[in-house]
Amino acid sequence: MPAGVFCLGGAPLVIYSLLVLSSPVSGHGSRTGAAFAHSAIARGHSIHRVFFLDAGTLNGSHNSILPQDETDPAASWEALHREHGVELVLCISSALRYGMLDATEAARHDRSNATINPAFSVSGLGQLVDACAHSDRLITFGG
Amino acid sequence: MVLHTLNAAPSSAAFRDCLKLVAPDDAVVLLGDGVYAALEGTAACDELRAAAAALFVLRADAQLAGIESPADGFGLIDMDDLVALTERFERQLAWY
Amino acid sequence: MGEAAKKPVLVVMRHSPYGSSLAKAAVDVALAAAAFEQAVDLLFIGEGVLQLLPGQESHKLGKKNIGRQLASLPLYDIELVYVDAEAALRYQLDIASSPVNAQLLGPQEMRQLMVGYDHLLGL
Repeated sequence: MPAGVFCLGGAPLVIYSLLVLSSPVSGHGSRTGAAFAHSAIARGHSIHRVFFLDAGTLNGSHNSILPQDETDPAASWEALHREHGVELVLCISSALRYGMLDATEAARHDRSNATINPAFSVSGLGQLVDACAHSDRLITFGG
Repeated sequence: MVLHTLNAAPSSAAFRDCLKLVAPDDAVVLLGDGVYAALEGTAACDELRAAAAALFVLRADAQLAGIESPADGFGLIDMDDLVALTERFERQLAWY
Repeated sequence: MGEAAKKPVLVVMRHSPYGSSLAKAAVDVALAAAAFEQAVDLLFIGEGVLQLLPGQESHKLGKKNIGRQLASLPLYDIELVYVDAEAALRYQLDIASSPVNAQLLGPQEMRQLMVGYDHLLGL
């Protein structure tokens, strides 16, 4: 970590990666994780990567529709990518199980269309391992 | 020093396992269904206080659950404070 | 992986092997970390110790065998895993028959173990 670089609160700047296991439709992990990421950036920190594993890959859905009076955590993740360029990666083996396909995987498996939001990409667990190796903190959100 | 984020109801296996691993110089942040351990007079609340770690509750989640003020010994924190805790604590362990 | 310093990871295995997909995910993460030559260890606590029961038969149901995957850990230079002694006792688990060499730890030892790692992955 570069010496002498501090966040708004006076603490040294931190490189974070996030591991998200929670589905956006149930529980608290998805909402909390996205809010954490926005707060960390607001304090001046950086997010190296957000890795979505298991049911967490459902956050990458382009097809879920929520009632108008409910907040969609997936939109908060997308904003993280759009506004701050944060890399959002779905674990490929989980994503395939949950039907989260990018255009390449849809074509490879003979499915008619991609199902993931283009703000997200799919890749292997190596991206999580890499995130651990290159981050000061790995913060996990489940449940 | 470990920052435990506890998102599991007091009767869950995750809650029990977390209690077992909390050390006196750790911090525990209750969020999600974990906030119910901040209900004053409950066994879960006493057990957490006995662990002697620093105890916090995420304000938005406590409000969602209808917990207006947490039990004595639990500090109400916002997301910004949670980020600050992860600056101080070198590692986090998620319980859910 | 680039030239970043290795950051030891402890995967905390908390879930029964087939009750959810989290145990499988945890094993996959551990094997991936080891395959990329990162320092990784495994701690089984609570219901997670049930992943170490011998004789798991998964092929009839067309599922991946967690026990067999754990037995492959030495191929990835993970020779020893750590086990919550209280949970092992609660489930009458004989660690001598575990698919991988296992060391029993009490609560205090588990707490000491955790602070030796840069990242804790609770799965």
